[in-house]
Amino acid sequence: MVLPEGFEINGMQSVDVEIDLNPPQDNVRDSFETANFRVDNGRFLFHVPETAVYSVADGTHIAVTPYPGADEAKIRLFLLGTCMGVLLMQRGILPLHGSAVVIDGKVYAIVGESGAGKSTLAAAFARAGYPLMTDDVIAVALTDDAALVHPSYPQQKLWEESIEQLGLHDRDYSSIYQRVNKYAVPIRSRFCREALPLAGIVELVKSDAPEPSIQAYNRLEGLHALNVHTYRNSLLHLMNRQQWQFQSIARLASELPVYRLRRPADGFSAFDLVDQIIRLTNKREVVIS
Amino acid sequence: MSVDMIALSGLVVQSQGYLVSEMNGEKVMLSIENGKYYNLGQIGGRVWELIESPASIQDVVDRLVTEYVIEPEECQRQVRRFLQQLKAEGLIQVGKE
Repeated sequence: MVLPEGFEINGMQSVDVEIDLNPPQDNVRDSFETANFRVDNGRFLFHVPETAVYSVADGTHIAVTPYPGADEAKIRLFLLGTCMGVLLMQRGILPLHGSAVVIDGKVYAIVGESGAGKSTLAAAFARAGYPLMTDDVIAVALTDDAALVHPSYPQQKLWEESIEQLGLHDRDYSSIYQRVNKYAVPIRSRFCREALPLAGIVELVKSDAPEPSIQAYNRLEGLHALNVHTYRNSLLHLMNRQQWQFQSIARLASELPVYRLRRPADGFSAFDLVDQIIRLTNKREVVIS
Repeated sequence: MSVDMIALSGLVVQSQGYLVSEMNGEKVMLSIENGKYYNLGQIGGRVWELIESPASIQDVVDRLVTEYVIEPEECQRQVRRFLQQLKAEGLIQVGKE
């Protein structure tokens, strides 16, 4: 299987993650009784009906056993999504759900619920000339003195509507998953490839207000936002990573500002939101604008 | 004074089922069961640590007066009130003796 989303890093010394593709099997689901997730001997096993069974181990190894005739794009979707999220947790790297953009050498994470407009906003940043760090999964490595965001695969998932709004044409892009109207847009040229410090987190929220507005959360609110937007947080318990995750987000929420950016439900311009965030980064302490 | 006051010698201990961390020196917790967040503050966080295994109010007070500048009587009053709050929230278990 080819991973068109991936890219090679020149001069890379060692292989970071090994992905084994096993031959298709009919009976892959046999080991799953009721739940589609389980942990066996430290290996995380995960079943997607009609698609594949995935095994993620040691933060380095993924094995995929597809169903015969399974849709390849769908196999990849979960490989680059849930599997990568689990792999990061196994490595002690906090995965947040959202997009990340680079402003003046620092990373701003844009988190939010599905449909909040994260990808659209990230695409607008890219159009405005700001490099993107990642879309979908933000890999935050906490070291003794910094929180570093590691680059992810150079692809953006965009809702169909967002593509239209940005003046791109959806027929130019291949659908990454037939049942979801999200499209894969290669963003190689605007993709940042080095780890950079995280400087702030913006939670994007739909609102009824006619104008966008941005507000700083207090620490507990920030903690809650980070908890809600931890990627695949429902799996933390199964992986026995809850306490580690809570300590990680507590550290982020005490060291970094967390904002809520409200955007109108309809007729909002992603470029207005870009302006709001840029203004934020130009001032040290902005509460309401 | 409420009837279910915690006795001075009664043992109290942390309830299970909380994720615990620190934010700027203050103890913050999240209930796994109901998703509620708590900020116990700095000294409250110290009290929390002192009741990791069963301890009496007196035990906690004896320890705190060596760590903070406070009169034992005032300390006991505040610890008792704090523990009553924790009890009301289900954050601690209170023994009979």
